[in-house]
Amino acid sequence: MSGDETVSLLYVDPDEQARPEVQTDLEASPLLGVDVQTCGSRSAAIEALESTAVDCVVTEYELPEATGIELVHWLRDERPDVPCILYTDVGPDAIETAIAEDAVVEYLPRDIPDSSRSLARLVRNVIAERSQLAYPVSETEDERLAAIQRYDVADLEATATVDRLTELLASHFDVAVVFVGVVDAHEERFLACKGADWDRLDREDAICSHTLLEDEHLVVEHVQSDARFADIETLEALDIRSYAGVPLTTPEGLPIGAMCLIDDAPRSYSDDDIEDLHRFADELMEQLELRRRLSAVERTVPKPDEGSQ
Amino acid sequence: MTAQDSYVFPELALEPVDTGTNLLLTGPPLVGTQRLLLSMVTGADDSEGLLFISADEDGVSIIEDYEAAGHTFDPGRMCVIDCTDHSPEPTGAVRQVSGPSDLTGIGIEFSSLYESLSASGVDRVRVGLYSIPTLLAFAEDFRAVYRFLHTVTGRIRTAGGLGVFAIDPGAVDDEAFATVAQAFDSRVIVRAGDDDPEFRVRGLPDQPDGWHPVP
Repeated sequence: MSGDETVSLLYVDPDEQARPEVQTDLEASPLLGVDVQTCGSRSAAIEALESTAVDCVVTEYELPEATGIELVHWLRDERPDVPCILYTDVGPDAIETAIAEDAVVEYLPRDIPDSSRSLARLVRNVIAERSQLAYPVSETEDERLAAIQRYDVADLEATATVDRLTELLASHFDVAVVFVGVVDAHEERFLACKGADWDRLDREDAICSHTLLEDEHLVVEHVQSDARFADIETLEALDIRSYAGVPLTTPEGLPIGAMCLIDDAPRSYSDDDIEDLHRFADELMEQLELRRRLSAVERTVPKPDEGSQ
Repeated sequence: MTAQDSYVFPELALEPVDTGTNLLLTGPPLVGTQRLLLSMVTGADDSEGLLFISADEDGVSIIEDYEAAGHTFDPGRMCVIDCTDHSPEPTGAVRQVSGPSDLTGIGIEFSSLYESLSASGVDRVRVGLYSIPTLLAFAEDFRAVYRFLHTVTGRIRTAGGLGVFAIDPGAVDDEAFATVAQAFDSRVIVRAGDDDPEFRVRGLPDQPDGWHPVP
């Protein structure tokens, strides 16, 4: 995320006096541009998180009828990518982590000198570093996300093309599921999917998150025996046992998503199979690229009847 | 490079490394990997802090190892986070969490100690972690360990620290190793050598070529 955007932050604290103070301090900080919304309990925080997109959560540990760790526990299930900072006077020894040992949060004591400045800096850093993600991202992630906008399939009126190529892919390969997915900041959206009815996946559950970092392709012959994916319950629930994916890459080398084959049993692919999958992916990206150029030309060159006015 | 924007290694054939760097120290056990790690987190003077995250050995033992290697453990600016489930009594120099699977607890202790060092005027901090395969073995989910490493290395990067995290490549799958390595800037590789253990650096500018003895 580039540093000059305004970020959205949820501050959770039962102390009615502290809430506006922290909000004012953060919003006035020269270290970052931030919109702060506040609330006083875990349930109010969940309500806010369900209705608005939030880039960072800062929470007190002691909340009415819950702890900050219990809020983080919910967050990791429902909004796994959102970074969270425990901002509290409660020391590490007194923090009960047993229900969320896997959650991982940042921690900042409130009783240090100039703590609001430290908090602003930490918020800026956890957002800029994407530091609480459970999967790797490349250094060009900002550019990659910007590229996704330029290749929006609906804008380019390419939905039928994607569907047609996905149908061809399904008839070419003897696999359970084929799909074309776009990997957004926090989720993979399936543009077309044949053999299953998948709509989206959290990015931390999606094997395609890793495919984006591959130069060529990613083949996982047995998903459940690969250490990176074996623990992901969603993959098992969707019967994703074998995976082959090729990144969908723009001419500048930015991967916006992947074209993939899924099977419901472990299997391997021949070099010819993978080469064919590359050809399908190249075909789709060439279509999108041509349509993008066409729409760029249409935007800059006025139509003849408009020009004569 | 000046002493202010880099970390020096008085005991090793290594050029100074920029602040904010995270190194993955790869090597099998029992060939001096831990010894090299303890040397790498040792500075030239007493101005730097040290945080050691110990998952394989309890905190008291790791301090004994450190002192046996000829270093002085100064509790005023050094602390061990003992992640084992067989910790002895806690001391000022050893903080405890419930076990190696409690990545949330380890992360909170780490951040708290880092803040304490900053608050006491120590703004240069070396961080050692031994070892990643143990965290992977106890965690319920690979992704949690990645999130933990991403969070800790992110703090080291932005706070101008130096991180050295040990992993035995033989103890994890190749795919898992490659993914873990993505959280790091470069690698220090240890091997048994013909007679004695040796190491080399890969992926950092201005470092000497070839293999060097582990002291």
